[in-house]
Amino acid sequence: MKVDKTLVASVALHVLVIGWGLISFSARSLEAPPPESMPVDIISADQLSKMTAGIKTGEKDKPKPMVEKVADQRPAEDAIGKITEKKEIVTASAPEPPPKPVEKPVEKKPDPPKPVAENKPKDEPKVEKKPDPPKEDPIAEALKSEQAKKPPPKPEAKAAPPQPPKPKQERVFDQSKIAALLDKRDPTRQAITGATLNSSASLGTTRGTAATLSQSELDAMRARLANLWKVQPGVEHPEELFVTVRIRLNPDRRLAGPPQIVSTGNSPRYQAAAEAAVRAVLEGQPYTMLRDETYDQWKYMDIDFDPKQMFRS
Amino acid sequence: MRVTTFSLPPLPLSRRDVLIGSAAGLLLPSRAGAQTKLVIPEGNVAPLPIAIPNFLAGTPADGEVGAGIAGVITNNLKRSGLFAPIDPAAFIEKITDSDKSPQFQNWKTINAQALVTGRATRQGDGQLKAEFRLWDVASAQQLTGQQYVTSPEFWRRIAHIISDQIYERLTGDKGYFDSRVVFVDETGAKERRVKRLALMDQDGANVRYLTRGADLVLTPRFSPSTQEITYMEFGQGDPRVYLFNIETGQREIVGNFPGMSFAPRFSPDGQRVIMSLQQGGNSNLFVMDLRSKSTTRLTDTPAIDTSPSYSPDGTRICFESDRGGKPQIYVMPAAGGPAQRISFSKDDSNGSYSTPVWSPRGDYIAFTKQGSGQFSIGIMKPDGSGERILTSGFHNEGPTFAPNGRVVMFFRDPGGNSGPSLFTVDISGRNEQRVPTPGFASDPAWSPLLS
Repeated sequence: MKVDKTLVASVALHVLVIGWGLISFSARSLEAPPPESMPVDIISADQLSKMTAGIKTGEKDKPKPMVEKVADQRPAEDAIGKITEKKEIVTASAPEPPPKPVEKPVEKKPDPPKPVAENKPKDEPKVEKKPDPPKEDPIAEALKSEQAKKPPPKPEAKAAPPQPPKPKQERVFDQSKIAALLDKRDPTRQAITGATLNSSASLGTTRGTAATLSQSELDAMRARLANLWKVQPGVEHPEELFVTVRIRLNPDRRLAGPPQIVSTGNSPRYQAAAEAAVRAVLEGQPYTMLRDETYDQWKYMDIDFDPKQMFRS
Repeated sequence: MRVTTFSLPPLPLSRRDVLIGSAAGLLLPSRAGAQTKLVIPEGNVAPLPIAIPNFLAGTPADGEVGAGIAGVITNNLKRSGLFAPIDPAAFIEKITDSDKSPQFQNWKTINAQALVTGRATRQGDGQLKAEFRLWDVASAQQLTGQQYVTSPEFWRRIAHIISDQIYERLTGDKGYFDSRVVFVDETGAKERRVKRLALMDQDGANVRYLTRGADLVLTPRFSPSTQEITYMEFGQGDPRVYLFNIETGQREIVGNFPGMSFAPRFSPDGQRVIMSLQQGGNSNLFVMDLRSKSTTRLTDTPAIDTSPSYSPDGTRICFESDRGGKPQIYVMPAAGGPAQRISFSKDDSNGSYSTPVWSPRGDYIAFTKQGSGQFSIGIMKPDGSGERILTSGFHNEGPTFAPNGRVVMFFRDPGGNSGPSLFTVDISGRNEQRVPTPGFASDPAWSPLLS
């Protein structure tokens, strides 16, 4: 029997290709790295506003500065000048240094007699974060001063993006004023700007980063207590067994003193329920889920133990 | 028996504890504002872990009693379903002196929330002195402490009393361990069953037989004084209601009625017995004053009225009647008068209700419900609402409440050639437990607390 050579070639080729495919494709299985789990809180708008709110005593009408970071402001190419301190924008909540007069914006002068860099160390302590005196909004200030002195482009470096010169005015070119237009300051560099915008919001607290206990911290604490709170099965009249425990916590997340019962009741059943609640609170320490930053919020806590929902008949 | 009781004062705190306590008091101001509120709407429905090491022996001869007391307490608390006694093998600390505070950290480590320490001592006069202290491990405080003096043979009773103290202190409800159960003990083949009246502690210990089994006995009930039992016996002729004195063994017929009398029960003050008297094809409720022997008729219907039970305040009576066609539960004033039906089958089984019994706490009436080929034990409120079935099966009958109203005992017959046995169940429907009895057992009745 004669074998067709093309058939043999075809079979050989198929075997080769499929065999290669089997080997090469089977070598490695697809791996999907497990995504990092991310805590998700579903919160209402109300809760969101609580989480971002600052102190209640903050001034509401104080507008927030728009940006802190300077956009497109390239430092001079040759870094011969001094590095100026980056100035923080002052807001209402920041403590106000008393000695400085209000209207003395250091950088506002279009042509200061001395270089800015020399002027500043005298006035300000070395503390980098120290807010500087001007109380008014830098942008409003900048706009005001610009209207007063149109010709020079604002040297104000920080508060606003570079202002484009008004086209109508610039058409008039006065050669005699070239000198006035020149920036006579030494080339300087700005200190590095922060990575975040608005590091101190006008309504925030001095402690800054987080305003309120997050829901996940509270949830974690609630879950811990719910697990430790032993409730008798088959309780009758659970509404009589509502217990509120007041605690004070130390920064090490342990109780500063014995828990206080602040709800009232006088039946033996209530007393037993109150003791069970205290037991749970005592056993729960240390409350490691609480963060240092929020200590102000969890220093004092009132914990309600409410068995009503568990025994609905 | 006589038990002398006096309470143990809390141990003086060590100086360190006093310092911590007073300092903490100063440190903890009642600050009203700026507090974070945390609401815990749900807890862990779980029994309370409790450690009960053997009671110490005051003299070397008391070791057995000390271990026995701890064993009885452990068993009582465990059966209640509200406590989880910890295996003694897990204990780290060995209590050597019950007058000293234990090292609470050792008990915290094994997750004990409560700790019972105690000592049993045979005194010079032959009396047994048992003392115990109940500790809260988390707060390192003594919750209660008592000591009892009694005859050595009553050590079980002491253990029951201590169990009640622990139960009451930790749950807030009265205990029920220091109580007894009267029941009908059944032995022999099904066709020739011998039924004897028997009495035992609620945990099944100390069984005593009160009758010899020559005559059939049914429905024993305790008097509030716990010294007397009333029951029905088939003697010569018609079945009759008898009174039986446990201490003396004397018995007498209650009243002298024509026809049969059955389903007796004491009034809460123990002065009267309420029962059914047969009149032709019907039966009606009567109450008899035990002192004056005067009898009062409470119902007069052409139906079978039976199984009467007083409310704990003695003002009302619940009973079973088929005046509406099927047996149902009715409530009427204790002096008779208009009766109101309270049992209405909610499901489509169209069931009938029988053997009502009022809880000593007054909040529930337990019953046997028959429908859809099943016998169930349940409870409902005295106005008929809040019906809750606790258990259900081939044959469950005869509920009786524990003295604190939190536990119901009943008997269950699985059918076939075997016989009935006793069970307890919590009124929440949890924690069903078989009660150990020597043979088959039915018709249990729980006594009030002995002390």
